[in-house]
Amino acid sequence: MDRIIYEEIDNDAVMDLALQAGHILLQSGAEIFRVEETMERICGHFGVQSEHVFVLSNGIFFTGGGEREHVFAKVEHIPVSGIHMDRIIAVNQLSRDIENGKYTIEEAVRKLEQIRQMPEKRKMVRVLAAGAGSAGFCFMFGGDIRDSVCAFAAGLLMYLFMVYVAEKHISRIVSNILGAAIVTVVCTAAVKLGLAAHMNYMVIGSIMPLIPGVAFVNAIRDIADGDYLSGAVRMLDAMLGFVCIAIGAGIAMVLIH
Amino acid sequence: MIGQMIAAIIGTVAFCVLFSVPRRYILLGGITGGAGWAVYLLASRGLGYGTSILIAAAAVVFLSRILAVRFHCPSPVFMITGLFPLVPGAGVYWTTYYIVLGDLSMAAQSGYDAIKASVAIVLGIVFIFELPQVIFAKLGGIGKRSC
Repeated sequence: MDRIIYEEIDNDAVMDLALQAGHILLQSGAEIFRVEETMERICGHFGVQSEHVFVLSNGIFFTGGGEREHVFAKVEHIPVSGIHMDRIIAVNQLSRDIENGKYTIEEAVRKLEQIRQMPEKRKMVRVLAAGAGSAGFCFMFGGDIRDSVCAFAAGLLMYLFMVYVAEKHISRIVSNILGAAIVTVVCTAAVKLGLAAHMNYMVIGSIMPLIPGVAFVNAIRDIADGDYLSGAVRMLDAMLGFVCIAIGAGIAMVLIH
Repeated sequence: MIGQMIAAIIGTVAFCVLFSVPRRYILLGGITGGAGWAVYLLASRGLGYGTSILIAAAAVVFLSRILAVRFHCPSPVFMITGLFPLVPGAGVYWTTYYIVLGDLSMAAQSGYDAIKASVAIVLGIVFIFELPQVIFAKLGGIGKRSC
C-alpha cells in the first residue's frame, strides 16, 4: 500500500515547487548553498530522489527523473531584483515546515504564491530609510549633528533619484556613478552655504546606501562554501559597485574644484 | 563613544528597512551593528586598523549565528546589515579624495587600508562559520523557555 502511495506522488509538481522556492530565494539575494539546500530539502521530503540542482548567481539548472521517476528538466534565468530579507526568511521557514510535514504540495504552492506577492516597501519609506542611514553613518564616522542633518538631505535626494529615475531607466553602473556624484555635489553645496563643516564625513555617510555590502558579504559566503563561480561573479559585482562610487565622487570633485 | 554606537544602531536599522527585514528582527539587526562598531572602537584603542576590523567582524558574525538559532531565521538577516558599518566605504572615499587632490602616497595608503579591511571581514566571516553549530545551538538556547 505504501508503495502505491509513493508512486502516486506527482514528481513534476514537487520539482516545480522546489524550483519556485529556489527562484524566490535567489531573486531575493540568498546565498547559493541556501538555494540548493532548500530545493533538495523540499524534493527529499516529498520523496523525489533523482533530482540534480546546479545554481549559479543568476540561474538555476534543475533536472530529475530516471527509471522510476518522471523526467523533469528546467533552466531558469533569474536576475537579482533587490534584496528582500523577508522573502528569504519566509521561504526558509516554509521549507522547514514542509520538512516537518505541515504542508501538502498544494498548500505549499499556495503559500509560495503568497510569499511572491509580499508587498514591497513603499518607495517613500525606502527613501526616508536611506536618508536616516546616511545621517546615522555620517555621525558614526565622526561627523557632528549639523553634518548628519545635511547627510540626511543628501542621502534622501540621492535615493529619490535612485528610486524614481535610475531604477527604471538607467543601468546600474551609470546610476551608481550618478548617485555618488549627486551626493558629492549636495554635500559640497552644504559646506559652501555654511550649513555644515565636514564635507568628508557627510559624503562618506551619504554614499553608504550605494555601497554593495550585500553582494560583498554573499560573495565571501559563496566562495567559502566552495561556490567559486557564483562567488567570483558576485565579488566582481561588488568591486564594480565600489569603483563606480569612487568614479562618481571623483568626477564631481574634479568638476567642482 | 555611546553617541557613535547609537548612530551605528540608527544607521543599521535604516538599512534593515532598506532590505525589507521583517519588523520583529529590525531592532536585533540594529543592535548587532551597534555591537560590532563598539567592538571595533574598543579594539582600535590598542590594536591596528586591520586587526580591529577582523575582531569586530568576527564578533558580528558570532552574534548573528547566536541570534539566528535563538529566533529561528537565517543568519544573514543579522549578519549582512550588522557588517555594514565595517565595510570600507570610507576607505573607498578617501582613496578617491586623495587621488583627486593629487596626493598619491596618501591615496595608496587609503586604498591599502580599504583592501586590508575587506580581507579582515573575509577572515572574520570564514573563521566564525567554521565553528561547529553545536556551540551556537547551546548559546542560542540560554534563557529560552523549554517548549
